[in-house]
Amino acid sequence: MPENGNGATGVIHDIGYQRYEGVRLGRGYSARSLFTQSVRGAYGLGRSAWAKVLPIGLLAAASVAALILVVVNTQLPVEVIDYVGMASTFTYAATVFVAVVAPELVSVDLRTNLLSLYLSRPMTRTDYALTKLAALATATFVMLGGPMLILFVGMAFSTDNGIAGVFSEFGGLLQGLLAAAIHAAVLASLALPFASLTGRRVFATGMIIGVTLLTAPISGVLQALGEGAGRQLAGLIDPVSLLNGVDRWLFDGGIFDVGPYGPVYGLGALVIIAVGTSCTLWRYRKVKS
Amino acid sequence: MNTTVMALTTRALLGRRRILLLLPMPLVLIGLTLIGVTSGSGSDGWGPLVFGGLGLAVVLPLTALIVGSSVLGLEIDDGTITHLLTKPLPRSEIVLSKLCVAWLVTTVAVGVPLAISALIAGSPALAAGLVAGALLGSLAYTALFLALSLITKRPVAVGLVYIMLWENLLVGFVDGAKVFSVQQHATTFANTIAKSPMLNDTVPVVTAMIIAAVFVAVGTVGATLRLRSFALTGEAT
Repeated sequence: MPENGNGATGVIHDIGYQRYEGVRLGRGYSARSLFTQSVRGAYGLGRSAWAKVLPIGLLAAASVAALILVVVNTQLPVEVIDYVGMASTFTYAATVFVAVVAPELVSVDLRTNLLSLYLSRPMTRTDYALTKLAALATATFVMLGGPMLILFVGMAFSTDNGIAGVFSEFGGLLQGLLAAAIHAAVLASLALPFASLTGRRVFATGMIIGVTLLTAPISGVLQALGEGAGRQLAGLIDPVSLLNGVDRWLFDGGIFDVGPYGPVYGLGALVIIAVGTSCTLWRYRKVKS
Repeated sequence: MNTTVMALTTRALLGRRRILLLLPMPLVLIGLTLIGVTSGSGSDGWGPLVFGGLGLAVVLPLTALIVGSSVLGLEIDDGTITHLLTKPLPRSEIVLSKLCVAWLVTTVAVGVPLAISALIAGSPALAAGLVAGALLGSLAYTALFLALSLITKRPVAVGLVYIMLWENLLVGFVDGAKVFSVQQHATTFANTIAKSPMLNDTVPVVTAMIIAAVFVAVGTVGATLRLRSFALTGEAT
């Protein structure tokens, strides 16, 4: 025991604690890590087999549909569906995908109060929100674009015009991928704000699907009632029709008649992306952590 | 049936803000009917979309999905299922009580707005038919989703894939899929009573009743068996 009061004091031994002097990985690194982990998590990679069933199953179903389309397209004299048409057709399945995956990405973090752990790193709230949004959009893009690659490979091998045919298919593929990117961005920024509202996946999925499933008949009724401009604008209410309208406007593909209002649909898509992103950012500014 | 379990379930289901989640769908349904009626155009145009396309194809399955997978699913999520399982109650009684509450809540939440809409559209027969369809449909749906909430850790996702991909997408391409679609059962049953041009039924009513009964039986028995050997685990990973 050190004696206090008469000169002798205790000694602090140096037991070799050291400061960390290596490289400190910053915001970019943590955001990139969260991004890769989120995209992997969206498809259940690195998780249990049950977590993979739905996302991988949806992707597999879409790929099988693409294989069938290759056969149909090559056997029939006319092409039944092109790449952009594929984006339009698969959007419905993609809404199911975001409704299942978006709650996986954010609701569990909210429910288990994980956000404070993320924020103890250099990552900021904005980084977290934007990274999750980007991860959801990327996962959706893979879901829409993957089958297109299968269609491209199939069509390129069975083309009759040699290399010119391959290049014309490649042009179509690029258009299709652009359409897929737009669809993915719109669906992700539509779904993530809803998912970030609740820590319960049940209600998150319910809300997202409510928005897509409930608006479709509304726009259907308005199309049945309206005529001319009303009919062509009614698709704005329903995200799936809105995206099909954008496809029609940009690529003259798709399955929805928009008349002269194509730019309105483009604007609608931009508004959804902007509002969805700012709602997500606003929401994560408020989340307690 | 156990009234205490039923009362507790009802309170857990309706006692909080989440009941508001069920509110927008009936409002949209009634609102669209009002728009249709005031538009002056014949109900042949918008009727099938509102009653069949929205009411029985969207509002009913979605409500049943949220309610059916919540009655037991929330308890599993929260871990309060342990308290329930340690009580000296037969597992079948727990499942039946939960199912009964889910059925009643779904029927009321769907049947009442449907009936109001049909009355606004001026067809009491349609209202009766839709209520009957909602009764049958919500029983089959909630039994299925209740069993799902015990079998899988993500019942809503699985149920959603069934509703959106099987009932709404596959049925359009593969005709035989209709036989196993609860939505078609409900529509058929509703139309047998209503005999209205606004509902398109495609399955013979006897087949629909039998398959729906099979769904209910499989759901209830499956849930009971699953609950007998229920393993308590953590959050889905």
